[in-house]
Amino acid sequence: MSQISNDLEFRRRLDRLDRTQQRTLAASFIDHVLSLSNDERVARAVKVAADVNASNDELNGALHSVTAAAMDSHARCDADCKWTDHAGYFVARATMAALSPEGQASGNPAWQAAMSSRMARTCISIDSTDDGGEEEQAEQYRILNNYLNS
Amino acid sequence: MNGPSFERGYNTLKEQIDAPVAAFFSSCVHCGMCAEACLFYTETGDPKYTPIHKLEPLRKVWKQEYTFWGKLGKALGISKALSDEDLSDWETLVYDSCTLCGRCSMVCPVGNDLAYMIRKLREGMAISGHAPPGLIGATKRAVTIGSPMGVKFPALQAQIRHAEAETGLTLPVDKAEADYMLLLSSMEVMNFPEFIGAVAKIFAQAELNWTISSEAFEATNSGIQIGVSDIAAELVQRIVDAAENLGVKNVISPECGHAYMAIRWEGPNLIGRPYNFKVIHILELLEQLHKEGRLKLKDKDVRRLTYHDPCQIGRRGGVLEQPRNLLNAVAANFVEMPDTAGMNWCCGAGGGVSANERADELRIRAFKRKKAQLDAVQPDALVSACANCRIQLEEGLEEYHTDIPVVSLTETIVEHLDGLGSKEGHPS
Repeated sequence: MSQISNDLEFRRRLDRLDRTQQRTLAASFIDHVLSLSNDERVARAVKVAADVNASNDELNGALHSVTAAAMDSHARCDADCKWTDHAGYFVARATMAALSPEGQASGNPAWQAAMSSRMARTCISIDSTDDGGEEEQAEQYRILNNYLNS
Repeated sequence: MNGPSFERGYNTLKEQIDAPVAAFFSSCVHCGMCAEACLFYTETGDPKYTPIHKLEPLRKVWKQEYTFWGKLGKALGISKALSDEDLSDWETLVYDSCTLCGRCSMVCPVGNDLAYMIRKLREGMAISGHAPPGLIGATKRAVTIGSPMGVKFPALQAQIRHAEAETGLTLPVDKAEADYMLLLSSMEVMNFPEFIGAVAKIFAQAELNWTISSEAFEATNSGIQIGVSDIAAELVQRIVDAAENLGVKNVISPECGHAYMAIRWEGPNLIGRPYNFKVIHILELLEQLHKEGRLKLKDKDVRRLTYHDPCQIGRRGGVLEQPRNLLNAVAANFVEMPDTAGMNWCCGAGGGVSANERADELRIRAFKRKKAQLDAVQPDALVSACANCRIQLEEGLEEYHTDIPVVSLTETIVEHLDGLGSKEGHPS
């Protein structure tokens, strides 16, 4: 199978996967940026998302928990923003996307999680000219390539 | 530059008393109807939150400086003059328990615009040094950095790159002679950057000739919220300069309540001249595109959706029909909450309240009113058009253990777009 080298192909391959595969792949993308979050609820929710055998109750519970984590980490209106602290918000958002039930999610959860994970990485370097999102993008291509070739 | 002082604050309050304010105070019949219209009163039952009571410092100045009996009482030393302590005591009433939502103004039987008067009272409060630290910090950052949250253009560029990856479109920046210049709020850039991709998709389908300015992308105006017109004017002027330098024909106010009030309604008065461009709210533009057949929708959302009107866009701004027309175009089951549209209840976070940590407990308490509205219609999802409202709605629903997703109207429309049309963010 040809290697993924652009977002169009990346997205197309993600769209071909079933919902459980999309969720577990999303968990892999998030796992790579998980160190940017210091919220235990997020780490626990990612573990649930990564579990192919997770029950609906477990998935719903994890979604509730990570939604609360996202609420706690958003940038407050008019507050002095610290982009490095803000990375955790996007990690939580990525996990919410991974766990969103069908019908509530807008688009492919793996793609949404990938985008939010890139934003989380970008937060770390946003005040400099270096965009960490590109490295994250390459890592996500590698993860998907490995998954598809395994 | 002079620092805050009571004397300067008092003089500012005197200057704020124009003919409407004087007429409003002299015509108040003390009926108390404004209390029942204010969610801070209805949700606490505390009479100190009665809107007209919040205006007491301004009323005192009006009485002492502009009425016969007030002047006489002052001259004879038999009336108590306004003091710095009074302003200090009123600070939480003026900033923590008023979102400038204007619902009180709607019910006043003699037509007093209480929200207009609170806005004026804040001018004196701020100049005398009685404004919340959160708003003071935000205002300083807005002046020095260009964003109340300190968001600089490289940060927006990073989000634009993400939007480009997400949409496959090229987003135009600093494009001269564009028809439309899009403003954004820092809240969108930080918390809801998907809004940027959403408008890019819509504009691509509609083949809109648009741009974002690197010089002035920030829509919000802390000067309006804290109540310092000089700063509000400076922030408006930056947008005006950027729009006129680029030669754009229209400026789009984004999904932010007070930003629309600032740039659309207060702006020309603040800078003392009309603009050389038009200001249009994103919802007005989307409805216009839909009417022109340039917003092609493929299907309808089957969920039960309801709409929360951001006060400064709806009641104060006049954009009431457009979101409803748009929702009816994309939703098969759109339902109105009780007390909707012009009489909608505020979410509790506007007017700088959400920027004020001291007000957190009260803000969440006031949300009970919105919760009751939602309980009455039991929607599957709640749609709104203000990033600040959205955060408050999400926080409030979380606090009261209510599982209703909160979504942006613009983003909801994008989910039902029929194809993308041009692959560029602007026609070549």
